[in-house]
Amino acid sequence: MLDVNWVWGTALLYIAFLFLVAYYADQRQKAGRSITANAWVYALSIAVYATSWTFYGSVGKAATTGIDFLPVYLGPTLTAFSWWFLLKKMVRISKENNITSIADFISSRYGSSQWLGGIITVITLMGVMPYIALQLKAISTSFTIITGYHDFHVGLMDRIYIPSPHPGLFTAVFLAVFSVLFGARHLISTERHDGLVAAIALESVVKLFAMLTVGLCITYFAFNGMGDIFQRVHQKDPQLLARLTTLGDRGDNSYASMFSILTLSMGAVMLLPRQFQIMVLENAHESHLNSASWRFPAYMFLMNLFVMPIALAGVLLNGNNVGADYFVLTLPMQLGYPWLALVAFLGGFSASAGMVMVESIAVSTMLLNHVLLPVVIRLKPRAWFPLLLINLKRFGIVLVILLGYLYQSVVGESYMLANMGLISFSAAIQFAPALIGGLYWPRGNKAGAIVGLLAGFAVWFYTLLMPSLLRAGGWQGDFLLNGPFGIALLRPQELFGLSGLDPYTHTLFWSMFLNIGAYLSLSILLGQGEKEREQVNRFVRVFTPESATPHWETKRLSKPVTIVQFVNLMTKFIGEQQAAAAITDYLGDREIDSKGGVSEFELPNLKRFVEKTLAGSLGGAAAGAVVESFLSDIGSRMEPVYDIFSTVRTSRDQSREALFVRLRASEIMNRSLELDIIMGDLLELLLREFKLDLAVIRLLNEESVLQVRCYRGVGGERLTAEDRILEIDTHVGEAFLGCRTEFFNDTAFITKPIAKEIFRREGIKSFAHIPIASEGSQPVGILSVFSRSIVGLFTEQFVELLESLAGQLAQAVRIVEEREARERERRQKEAALLENARVTRDLELAKQIQLSLLPEHPPTLPGVRIASRCVPAAHVGGDYYDFFQRGEEVLDLVMADVSGHSVGAALIMVETRSVLRAQITEPGSASDLLKLLNELLYDDLTGAELFITMFCARYDSSTGMLRYANAGHTRPLLFRAGAPTELDAEGLILGVERGVVFEEQRIALQSGDLLFIYTDGIIEAENGEGELFGIPRLCALLGAMLELEPEVVIEKVLSEVSAYAWPNPLQDDISMVVMKVA
Amino acid sequence: MKTNVRQIVLHRLKLKDTWVICFVLGLVMMNYPFISIFNKSSLPFGIPLLYLYLLIGWVFSIFIVYLFSRAASKDTDTKGHM
Repeated sequence: MLDVNWVWGTALLYIAFLFLVAYYADQRQKAGRSITANAWVYALSIAVYATSWTFYGSVGKAATTGIDFLPVYLGPTLTAFSWWFLLKKMVRISKENNITSIADFISSRYGSSQWLGGIITVITLMGVMPYIALQLKAISTSFTIITGYHDFHVGLMDRIYIPSPHPGLFTAVFLAVFSVLFGARHLISTERHDGLVAAIALESVVKLFAMLTVGLCITYFAFNGMGDIFQRVHQKDPQLLARLTTLGDRGDNSYASMFSILTLSMGAVMLLPRQFQIMVLENAHESHLNSASWRFPAYMFLMNLFVMPIALAGVLLNGNNVGADYFVLTLPMQLGYPWLALVAFLGGFSASAGMVMVESIAVSTMLLNHVLLPVVIRLKPRAWFPLLLINLKRFGIVLVILLGYLYQSVVGESYMLANMGLISFSAAIQFAPALIGGLYWPRGNKAGAIVGLLAGFAVWFYTLLMPSLLRAGGWQGDFLLNGPFGIALLRPQELFGLSGLDPYTHTLFWSMFLNIGAYLSLSILLGQGEKEREQVNRFVRVFTPESATPHWETKRLSKPVTIVQFVNLMTKFIGEQQAAAAITDYLGDREIDSKGGVSEFELPNLKRFVEKTLAGSLGGAAAGAVVESFLSDIGSRMEPVYDIFSTVRTSRDQSREALFVRLRASEIMNRSLELDIIMGDLLELLLREFKLDLAVIRLLNEESVLQVRCYRGVGGERLTAEDRILEIDTHVGEAFLGCRTEFFNDTAFITKPIAKEIFRREGIKSFAHIPIASEGSQPVGILSVFSRSIVGLFTEQFVELLESLAGQLAQAVRIVEEREARERERRQKEAALLENARVTRDLELAKQIQLSLLPEHPPTLPGVRIASRCVPAAHVGGDYYDFFQRGEEVLDLVMADVSGHSVGAALIMVETRSVLRAQITEPGSASDLLKLLNELLYDDLTGAELFITMFCARYDSSTGMLRYANAGHTRPLLFRAGAPTELDAEGLILGVERGVVFEEQRIALQSGDLLFIYTDGIIEAENGEGELFGIPRLCALLGAMLELEPEVVIEKVLSEVSAYAWPNPLQDDISMVVMKVA
Repeated sequence: MKTNVRQIVLHRLKLKDTWVICFVLGLVMMNYPFISIFNKSSLPFGIPLLYLYLLIGWVFSIFIVYLFSRAASKDTDTKGHM
């Protein structure tokens, strides 16, 4: 016996250490640096399979029935061969579907059936009760053995007389607290529990260490190795050794029991809720499966290496196998190693504690998701729901452990440890057909799974659990021996007369026979629901690459739901923060439309995502029910889309019909150049191929109105007759402005009042407006199609087809428009050319008229020879000169230049001429004439914003006197004896100011003088470098020609100036008068 | 030649079929009638035959799984073998 305070102290220290490790792991997880996401930790945590049944019970079984303790661990080794595909598949499915437990896993496969989940939970709860009881019993018994007290005795308590708690109860409470703290931190069950896993892995190390230490000490210190122990037993009792190390013919240690225990353990290692929790849900990475598949069997091997030697050593030391269940604990004490017993106690405690913690968390998750939630979700969601749910989960953990405690209080003393464990194994194996079948057999259905499970469970209960309870209660008598009402065929342990088997083989045979039979036959006889078929793909074909499956949505929501509505729904169950985080994650870079929703085709996906997110906390079945009832509350539901393309799809994304229609559309476009024919044919094609009732094409005209250009189909006066202006208020306008297809699969949910009214009257059920636009350019119109019969006509592929047809149409429209535009442009050009020719002709005429207004030939005057010339730069010009003869000898001479050389200048010139002609008859000097002209023309000139320079002279040939006045005109040049003089007279330009006084000069001309009167067109002629012709150059030119005839001089000057300016034409009119005095 | 054999073995070990065959083989070798070969009360090396057989078989199968996991971890692309 050890001092009870020692045991207490060590146990408390160890518990404190466990808490510390779990807490540290949790903190590391929060910081994002998990220590348990590691292949070693994963393999160690799977060793939660080794419970106190392994630790204590194996030795007990080895000592009583012999070698059949081994298959319990050989089975898992065999299953390790299947991990790389079976377990990997389970892990992958669970991660992709947010599976929370094995009940969730199986029920999700069969269409998220709440019934199935509930049944599995009940089976599990009843199945694991004995197992948890076993653990609690092991702890309390080992405490009693090691200290000699039957309660958790503390030395202090002796003095203060507090009733000590039962050791099992104390353990139960401690384990419940630990599990609640580290296993139910959040509601989300799919998140890994690092603290828990770390504690489990540590416990696995401790129990292996304890077992090996005890085994080594007993085998090699108390005895001389394994061979020695076997030899001694052989010498003492060869028959006992033979019995314990070989398989018999009947009963517990037979070939049959070998087979059934092997099978049970293979099932258990995969199907027990705690194994599923650790192996599937707490798996951090699929590659960890790889190394765990040999590390875990190796752990099991080491754990069992010394079981047989310890058992035989116990038999040798005690002479019999009484109390063999605790040889691991009692032998060290018998051999005088109390510390070794303490190590063994801690090992046993670890084995029990780990199992109870994980099992209680796993089962409580199932309890919450499949038993409590179906009730809770019928209530109206409240703000405190997330809080309620997490507390229900905590309550579930406590409940599961307390139930185990209750079972051990009632049944505890009557069974061996190993037998209690096998009852649980027999319950767990019932899940195998539904699970394995669900993973690999696409036909397996819900009905088969439910009936199979119920049948297997009933057999298990009747042939295994009930007898164990009856035996524990001491009521075995009649019922077990003779069957109910004395019907021998129904004897629980010899059902239908099948005798000679051990109870586990018996139960395994009958339960599996009925379970598998029901599962297979009902799966073949009955079909699958739609929801089930959907799930089959996610389970059976989870490894099929995404790209190999058609991506067309086959479901639609009858009434659109917004993102906000979904977020609100999630908030009610998992809290605002989680909901917001989830939806942000989902939306990512997805497109959100103006109404805060995703596209209609995206909605089913969003719905599935919400379901999946909720499933992470509520389990698949409850999540499905929650979303379903939410949808029905807002009047929406999932319904199959109308399959417009009924034939088998020839390729992944295009049906044969779609290809056919595209082909026909191309033909239509190519056949004609007339837009009206193209549009008409296209609409007829649409109406013929799809179940449409009306189709309209509107094109944008010059007034920015969408004008109905073509329609086909029956009825719909308002739809076919009215043009639409571009407004966001109409669906057509919205489609056009947004350049996005607007469609309603159900006009009952339309919000625009006018449209609603029209569609109601026309009986339109669904419609779509497709912008007619080529890739990346503005739409040119809208293609509208309407159906009166089908709701949900517009599937993603149909809309895509319509859009592509609209794109083709846009090309046709563009081609036609371009052709028309070219035509228009050509006509405009022609008209302009015509107009131009007319103007040119008019101007030419004007030029002729204007030139004819100039003196036809210079006057003849005795003693002088005169020549004159005017060369307008444009058709008409502003230069003007005139001669007026007064009698035989006097000549008035005028040279004027109206600014500019436009038609206006020409008109002013004509006016000037008229005024001049009218006034010239008046007697008066040149300066008077200018003064008068200024007065008369002033108003007209300022009105036209023009002005005139004018040189006016009067020559009297009898005296040779020239009197002249100048109104700002270029000063004429007088050449006398070869030298030029400028004739200057002060005077302002005409039309600038009223009442100008002009100076009159006079000069007597002599024989040989040459007078050159000209306009500035000559001296301002520019050459290529922008240099002016200038007066000096003119003087030099004239100076060389003084002897020539005036006509010749004019010709020369003209040709010289033209040559100077070449290749540019003359910019200004040129006029000149040459007067040579003989 | 040696590396060739090694690669062939590695490739075979990656096949799901090989895993299943080993699983079935293990199941057969641990059950009647195969196991009855060793179900005798003789004590080779002083250890009961059946016990020895099961322990050695166990170690051997752990070794096989170890080889499997080595092969599988060499190539994470197992799509074709699922």
